[in-house]
Amino acid sequence: MSKLSILVKQLYKEKVRGKSFILMTLLYLAIITVVMYWSDIKALFVNDEALQIALVNETPVELEPIFASNDDITFSYPTESKENLYKQLEDEKLDAVVIVSDENESIKAEIATYTPLKLNDQSTISSLIQYAGSIYGIQQLNLTAEEAEKILNSEPIITTTNINEESGNAKSEDQKQSGLWVSYGVGIVIYFFVMSFLSIITTDVASEKGSRALEMLLVSVKPGTHFQSKILGTMLVALTQFGVIFGFLFVLLRFTDGGSKWEIVQSILSDISYSYVFYVLAFLLLTVVLYLIIGALFGSLVSKVEEASQVMMPAMMITLIGFYVMISGIGNPDTILIKIFSYIPLTSGMVMPMRIGATDISTIEPIISLVLLIVTCIAAYILSLSFYKRSVLTYSTGGIIEKIKTVLKVTT
Amino acid sequence: MTLALKHVVKKYKDFTAVNDLNFTIGKGEIFGLIGQNGAGKTTTFRMILDLQEQTAGSITWDGSPINKINRDWLGYLPEERGIFPQMKVEDQLIFFGKLRGMNRDKLKKEIDFWIQRFELEEKRNEKAETLSKGNQQKVQLIASFIHKPKFLILDEPFSGLDPVNRDLLKNAILLLKERGVTILFSSHQMDNVEELCDHLCILKRGVSLFSGSLLDLKKQYGKTKLTIRTTVPKEEIEKMAGVKDVKVVRDEYVLTLMDESFAKPIFELISNGQYIEKFSLDYLSLDEIFKDKVGGNNE
Repeated sequence: MSKLSILVKQLYKEKVRGKSFILMTLLYLAIITVVMYWSDIKALFVNDEALQIALVNETPVELEPIFASNDDITFSYPTESKENLYKQLEDEKLDAVVIVSDENESIKAEIATYTPLKLNDQSTISSLIQYAGSIYGIQQLNLTAEEAEKILNSEPIITTTNINEESGNAKSEDQKQSGLWVSYGVGIVIYFFVMSFLSIITTDVASEKGSRALEMLLVSVKPGTHFQSKILGTMLVALTQFGVIFGFLFVLLRFTDGGSKWEIVQSILSDISYSYVFYVLAFLLLTVVLYLIIGALFGSLVSKVEEASQVMMPAMMITLIGFYVMISGIGNPDTILIKIFSYIPLTSGMVMPMRIGATDISTIEPIISLVLLIVTCIAAYILSLSFYKRSVLTYSTGGIIEKIKTVLKVTT
Repeated sequence: MTLALKHVVKKYKDFTAVNDLNFTIGKGEIFGLIGQNGAGKTTTFRMILDLQEQTAGSITWDGSPINKINRDWLGYLPEERGIFPQMKVEDQLIFFGKLRGMNRDKLKKEIDFWIQRFELEEKRNEKAETLSKGNQQKVQLIASFIHKPKFLILDEPFSGLDPVNRDLLKNAILLLKERGVTILFSSHQMDNVEELCDHLCILKRGVSLFSGSLLDLKKQYGKTKLTIRTTVPKEEIEKMAGVKDVKVVRDEYVLTLMDESFAKPIFELISNGQYIEKFSLDYLSLDEIFKDKVGGNNE
């Protein structure tokens, strides 16, 4: 067995059997379960009673079909006086009183509450009132019922055709929506994996260096081999966690609720191309590798494990920025900010999949971004390896810049 | 000749850590590298181990550059204690042994032997972090030579050990010597160096003040340490010719003579009608020689 494989095996066994790895994986599984079954879990603990809303209709239009009761809201149409209804509000027999009247041939609605409504409930009532407003407006035009229905139910047929052959085929809205969801998921996965495994590799190298075990190791193993073992071993641990989480997710989706959730996933996946899957995997793996290289280098700079968080901070900040840029893209993935960050190697893994999936970008753009990421990984590996050899046995105090200066001073 | 350092220099920008260092160590020999903190001992060890590159000079093993030899022949105990705190004692030794190319069966025999010798049987399956400092050091020491190296470097192996464990370690070093292992070690405890080393090198601020056999070093100073237990008053002894210094240690006088030749006239003087309970002429101890060479007098 080669020295590299002995080191990788030792690191892998130690980490995978470690309490923190097991607990973290279980936590991820618990979060996934809670998110997927949130409505069922909520129903077990929260007994949501339907809102009681009284609707006073002072217009000639019949509003009952529009304000239909459901599980969340029960509408009633009392004929009592306002004062009486307000008294019921105070007594909490009613949650809201909606008085609908006419003002200049438009609907005017007054929502009275004693305890303010939740945002969701307020939005639901507002949209129903708006719909009622449209009906009311149409009726003022003295249209026939068919004409009114046609106006209300008319939906434009939209087809997109891109005459620029170089920009490739334009995506449908469904494809973009699916791409957006998948890339959002990928961004979150990259963020959490980078955060946890950057910390694991930095702390691991720092702890070996701080405990001086590294000096004993480096007598029989070259620093380069040690560096490689840290990246490979941690990557294997990351892939193991990745496998466990996605295996669990697959089982949940496939075999619970009669596979109904799996059908939704399949419909999303059917809108996704193979090239998109390739890009997502490539960006995911390369981004994690890049941060592992940086993490190992940072770990070699510190003198004791307590300093690890201090040197990790810049890389964590960059990850956080990338994550927020990716989040900002959910509203509009076509902004200039998204475009810039989709080329920066440290953030492209989180941002570029969103552009590929949810926008109509040319074929060359993701290739350029991926090539930049690959080149950065290679350059970071070569530079870090050279620096690692020098920093791994150099002990110094001060901030990260001070540590780099010390390494350069004593090794050049 | 096994290990040879010739005109070795290590410079860090404006600072010279080791300057023109020369010494050789024969096969199966125990060689001591002594010096104050910051004298350049650890830097020298790291250059020999190819963990740092020398600025000038050559380091060879049997005539071949040290960086070309099989690294599994080397063993190293760093000055500061370093083992994997979360790993069990036996797992730790297996890991280090396998890393240096030992197979599991041979490793098992060696581990059994050394664990028993260092009285660690009960700690075998305990995590390193739960052990006392002394026991951790014993584990690390075993890890440094479990793979039967040809050349072993021990940086301050005795620090932190109680007298009983120090004896265990000394005996282990002598056993390794019997097995033909060449050993280079540093220590601030000169009695240990004196007891174990055949040859030594004294370093001061990166410069070698002496390199050679312990006996040669002692002969340089001659037999100038005279211990007397007598009724003669101190004032009289101080006035005697050739006496450089007199110290009273409990009920004895410890004299430093200018030269060994003054011993006989002193004996004749004080034996004239006086009772002499003890009269002992010795070489200076290594500790005294070290203080003389490295201390303030040589600034």
